[in-house]
Amino acid sequence: VTTLLDKFEPVRELAAGLERAGRDPTNVVFDEVRSATVGVVNGRDTILAGTNNYLGLTFDPSCLGAGVKALESRGTGTTGSRMANGSYALHTVLEGELADFYQCRHAMVFSTGYAANLGVLTALLVKEDAVLLDADAHASLYDGCRMSGADIYRFRHNDVHSLERRLARLGDRAQRCLVVVEGLYSVLGDCAPLQGIAELKKRFGARLLVDEAHSLGVYGERGCGVAEALGIMGEVDFFVGTFSKSLGSMGGFCASRHDVLDLFRYVSRPFMFTASPSPAVAATTLEALRQLRARPELKDRLWSNARSLYGGLQALGLELGPEVSPVVAVRCRDRESALSNWNRLLEAGIYVNMMLPPATPGGASFLRCSVSAAHTDAQIDTIIERFAGLEI
Amino acid sequence: LDNDRTEAVAGDLARMLADYLENNWVDSPCAGKPVGADTNMVTGLQLDSFQVMEFMLEVEDRFDVAIDLESLSDTQTITDLAGVVVAAQEET
Repeated sequence: VTTLLDKFEPVRELAAGLERAGRDPTNVVFDEVRSATVGVVNGRDTILAGTNNYLGLTFDPSCLGAGVKALESRGTGTTGSRMANGSYALHTVLEGELADFYQCRHAMVFSTGYAANLGVLTALLVKEDAVLLDADAHASLYDGCRMSGADIYRFRHNDVHSLERRLARLGDRAQRCLVVVEGLYSVLGDCAPLQGIAELKKRFGARLLVDEAHSLGVYGERGCGVAEALGIMGEVDFFVGTFSKSLGSMGGFCASRHDVLDLFRYVSRPFMFTASPSPAVAATTLEALRQLRARPELKDRLWSNARSLYGGLQALGLELGPEVSPVVAVRCRDRESALSNWNRLLEAGIYVNMMLPPATPGGASFLRCSVSAAHTDAQIDTIIERFAGLEI
Repeated sequence: LDNDRTEAVAGDLARMLADYLENNWVDSPCAGKPVGADTNMVTGLQLDSFQVMEFMLEVEDRFDVAIDLESLSDTQTITDLAGVVVAAQEET
């Protein structure tokens, strides 16, 4: 006889296995966070090299000031959804500035990046539609597609030919198809070949959604993302992204030139039935977006650090992701190597992410670093030195 | 006729999967296990959902069919998978 709770036994074993190897990488506690790049773990100052804080804005004085001002003047929370409780002016101003940033007429703010992907995909797609999804797409994109009921077809990661074959197989259905990709993929730090993808979507009459979660503020002259960097912004039907990485805040968004986006407010359940972003969150997001636009030097500094870390780790002979980017993934020989070396790095004062299968490309294990504009040269050097001491 | 076709496709799929396992995931529990029409991919080979989805990319290209992820939800054995492939061929 099995009970309702028995299904969690394999999960219990998995968690116990992680703890046996040292600390549980899914449950690290920072007793204090001193800056965008330093936290305290177990009483020790630790360099944060796995927090996706690309522009280092979490302690930016302007963002802090905007958050404090909103907190004091508008209160701690909105206490409900925008549909039920109404919008704060901060929400609509943020949407207006996002639309302007993406050179789209419409933008919509969600309470998290995950909710943005669920909210957009479940509003846009119905069961008669088809989705062509990059095989390495983020779980939130998979979940949104699944929840929509549309037919989901995967294509090989970043493989334009694989996408072309699958669009061709759809025949007339291609016109009811949404191609779903990310700008920058978050595990290996590789960019989508968006020019080829955009050309195909035009040829087959499909639509294109690009998730710029990890590329907002990182790619493109104005920092819009990979679509801007590759000159195809006009071909993107829906941009989605998050505020919780480069903007150092919390929430997600969609920007589109299609006016149906405004109708999503009436049908998107992850938008309608979630409390809206708190005033302080909306204010810090808005200020961070303004900082991103006003200070291109942040992006320059980020890339300088990314090149230093990638070059330094490459010089150690480590196997890295295919291109230089602010996401630097180090491939480990197996799961045990990833787990033990992740623990050794943390003991040596470096926090990175551990990525294990099945949530990884090719079923491999990685130690994943994310670089920040706020990292100093000395911090980058220290990260490289600590990796030099590992047997990966 | 359909049974014959499904059986033939199952034979192809078993050979494909055996080759695929030999060249991928050599360290996983499924390595070296025999693959036949009745082989259960989940309980027998202990393939996880990611591995099944990766193999499906090969299957789609080999048979030139479009197979949506939902079709795989009840697919356990190679023969089950052959049925999905044959149905997709008919749709195409």
